[in-house]
Order: sequence, then structure tokens, then C-alpha cells
Amino acid sequence: MKISRGQFIAGVFSFIPLGLVLINYLRNDLTANPIQAATLRTGRTAINLLILSLACTPIRNILGLTSFIKIRKTLGLFAFLYAALHFLIFIGLDFEFNLSWIVDEIRFKPFIQIGLSALVLLIPLVITSFNKMQGIMGKWWKILHRIVYLAAILVIIHYLMATKGDILQPIIYAAITFILLILRIPTLNKMEFQNESGWLKSINNFLLK
Amino acid sequence: MKYPIPASEITPEELYLSRRRFIKDALTVSAASLLVSSCKAQASAQLPTASSDLTPPATKDDRDELGNSLTSYDDITGYTNYYEFSSDKSGPTELARNFSTSPWSMHVDGYVNKPQAFDIDQLQTLFDQEERIYRLRCVEAWSMVIPWIGFPLNKLLEIVEPTSDTKYVRFETLLDPQQMPGQKSQMFPWPYTEGLRLDEAMHDLTILATGLYGKFLTPQNGAPIRLVVPWKYGFKSIKSIVRIDLVSEMPTSLWMASGPNEYGFYANVNPNVDHPRWSQATERRIGQNGRIDTLIFNGYEDEVAYLYEGMDLSINF
Repeated sequence: MKISRGQFIAGVFSFIPLGLVLINYLRNDLTANPIQAATLRTGRTAINLLILSLACTPIRNILGLTSFIKIRKTLGLFAFLYAALHFLIFIGLDFEFNLSWIVDEIRFKPFIQIGLSALVLLIPLVITSFNKMQGIMGKWWKILHRIVYLAAILVIIHYLMATKGDILQPIIYAAITFILLILRIPTLNKMEFQNESGWLKSINNFLLK
Repeated sequence: MKYPIPASEITPEELYLSRRRFIKDALTVSAASLLVSSCKAQASAQLPTASSDLTPPATKDDRDELGNSLTSYDDITGYTNYYEFSSDKSGPTELARNFSTSPWSMHVDGYVNKPQAFDIDQLQTLFDQEERIYRLRCVEAWSMVIPWIGFPLNKLLEIVEPTSDTKYVRFETLLDPQQMPGQKSQMFPWPYTEGLRLDEAMHDLTILATGLYGKFLTPQNGAPIRLVVPWKYGFKSIKSIVRIDLVSEMPTSLWMASGPNEYGFYANVNPNVDHPRWSQATERRIGQNGRIDTLIFNGYEDEVAYLYEGMDLSINF
């Protein structure tokens, strides 16, 4: 499996938020409530990466940057990685793998049920993310991977419900996600600017390598 | 900087005795009382700079009555919920640095015989300031143990003489978007408002705090004066109070208005009444590892349970 330059750059950038959380933790400045801070930050990074991965297809369509299809996969996988970390911190660090606590949390907190559903929905996408699977599954791969739209909507609802009071930020996220989903409506999806500008092409070629 | 004081005029640390020491001295040596009040005025004037520079003096105890050790001064002053400044926990520490708390007057009005405006210095001299080590349980399922300095609210209410029409007490935080940038947000019906039933307000555990760890309150902790009701979730303990009204109708708090199904009027700490967002059965004590069980009425059941006899606390949450 060859990794393109674009994927390499996306991967490096995806590691930065995790690195910052670890550095803050080791330097003892991950707030007075480090577990909560780690939960919030991994969760927010997961949403950011998921939204960025949803932006890749429109970028390809509009700017003709075909290199972003590979980048999309990298960002999607890292979004899952952060979501899984977010969940592990919740059950392991926060609730100490105490099954009765965790079951109660999930049973009585709809926002956790919604977040967890999104995480579960992403699992088949991760499993089938290899290029080989794409070949085997043919058109079904594309259909299966549309699940990500549902997952994104659930994640935004999860974020909205998890926010106390000041919901401006989740609303901004909701608006961006909405636009990215709208751009997938078939007629809009075909929207394409004939892009002959040389520098875009050279960026694309650079990222593809 | 609100109070530009030349370095030469700042009281050296060794002379800046804690206020609690002053109070103790005042009680034992009556002749010292004149000196006490003059020093106090000076200390209060340089509060914004001086209070953050001093190491917290030892308190009379380093544990609460249940044996819980005190939360560190750094955590108490560095991890706060104060949406008037920021919804980020560490945000208020920086954003409130220059918050002006002097002059400050607190109006006590409503169904009272003697409505009055109290100056903050007056509040600190009128009433014996005492230390109260209380657990503070945030609705977000974290908690602290804080050595407050303050006086029972009932002492203040006795002075203004509530009339028989008074059923509730309504509190209001300063409204000043220039100083409190969070108040520019349209998400909340500012100013911050809270309320207590009269008997809750008169309860001896309910205090107005002016300090913690033997020092004046920092702005992010609610300077210059705040409410502390230890058996209720932290948001009931309203900060930087400018108004207390004695009223006949149940006041609607800011949180009740913005999330009526999440935040009730009573907001008593109760592990059996869940919140849609945070577990109320357990909590995380700041500065310690692991979760601990949340106690009904935050461990003050013996003192306050009688106030709610016969009430369904899952309805009156």
C-alpha cells in the first residue's frame, strides 16, 4: 500500500492534537480535570477530522484535486482513531472500566447512545477502507460508505447535546456539515469548475506522489 | 491595571498578615481594632494584584469534617466555571484579572423593612468573618473542598428585616459586558440570577463568602462577594453579587431559563436524580484520582434534609 504525499501530510497533521494532549498531560497542564479535558479534546478532534474528510470529495469535484480522495481515507481513519480514543478515555480513564457505571451512563444518557452509534457505524467503514476491498465490493463500497453521512449527523447531534449552554460552536459545526452534505446532492455533486490553472495542477501532482 | 500602586507602596509580604489573623487579633486584642480596619482597607485596595502573589496561608484545618483533604489553592483559582468571562474552565483566570471589585456595593431590597446598600468594606467589617470548609459539587460531576471565609447570609437578612411577604430570595450578579466579555453572548439571559427559598437562605450553612484560604476572593472565584450553598450544585452559589431581593414568587434562575428540563430551582446535590449530561451518582474530586460516590445533599443531609421533608426531589430537582 503506497502512501501519497498528501496522505503523509494529512497523517502528520492528524497526530498533532494527540501529541499536544500528551504533552499537556506530561507537563501537568491539562487543566485541573485532565480526564475531562482529554475526553473533550479527543472528541473535538474526531469531529474536526470527520468534517475535513467530508470536505475532500467537494474539493475534488470543485477544484479538480483528485489527490484529495486518498487524503479523504487518511482523515476518515484518523477521525475513527480519535473517536475510539474518546470512547476509551470515557470507559477506561473516566469510568475505570466499571461495568455497572458504564452501563448506567449509556442507558440513561441519550447523547452517549447517539455518539456511540456513530462510532459503531464507522467500524464497517474502517474495515472496508483498504483499496483491495474497494475492488472486491464494487459499487456496494460506495453505497456502504454513504453511512458516513449518517454518522456525521449523529456526531453533530451528540456534540450539541453534550454542550452545556453555549451552543454556538456546535451550531457552526452543524452548518458546515449541512453544507458539505448538500454538496453531495447529485446535481450539485456534478458541479465542476474547469480548472486549467497550472498551480492547482502542480499541487495536485505533488500531493498525488 | 485598575490600581497602579508603585512597588514602594506595596505592603511587604511579611506584613501582609492574612485576614483571618486580623480577625483573630481583633477578637483577642481590642486595642488593635483601629489598626485592623486601616490595614484592611489598604489590603482591599491592592486586592487585584496582591492576592494572586501571596502564598496561601495555612488554614485552621486541612480537612473537612468528613476527612476530605482541601483542594489546592491553584486548582480552586485555576479551574472555574464563570461564563461571564469564558465557558472555558481556565479562561476566567486570565480574563478576570483586571476585574474591578472596588468600589462595590450590594443592594438588599424587596419585601424588607430596611432596604440598604452595603459597601463591600462595610460587609467585611459589619460581620464576623469565619472560615467554613465546604465541599463544592459542580453539576458537571467534579468537586472540590474549599476553605471559604465569610459570614452567614442570615446575619445580613436580619439587618434588613424581611417582611412576612418574603418567601424567596433572589440574587443577581453584576451586569457589565465591558468587564465581563462573556455577557456579550446572546446565548444566556444575563445577568446571572439565582434564588433560594427563605428558609434555605436563613440556614446557617448558607454563607456569603468574601475570601478563601485566608485571602480575598479572586475575581474568577466571584470577588468581591458570592453566595455559597454547600448542599446544592455549584451553579447555585452565585458570584459577584450586586443585588439581593426578597420576593414572594419563586425566582427563575439563569440556568432554569436556559435549560428548564436540566436545571431546576432546588438543584440539591442528589445521586438519585440524574442529569441528562453528567452522572450524578459519582463525581471526580479535583486533584485526586478516581471517582467517588456522590452523597445526598453533598454530605450535609443531617443539617438540611428537614427542609425538604415530604417533597418529591425528583420532581423538585
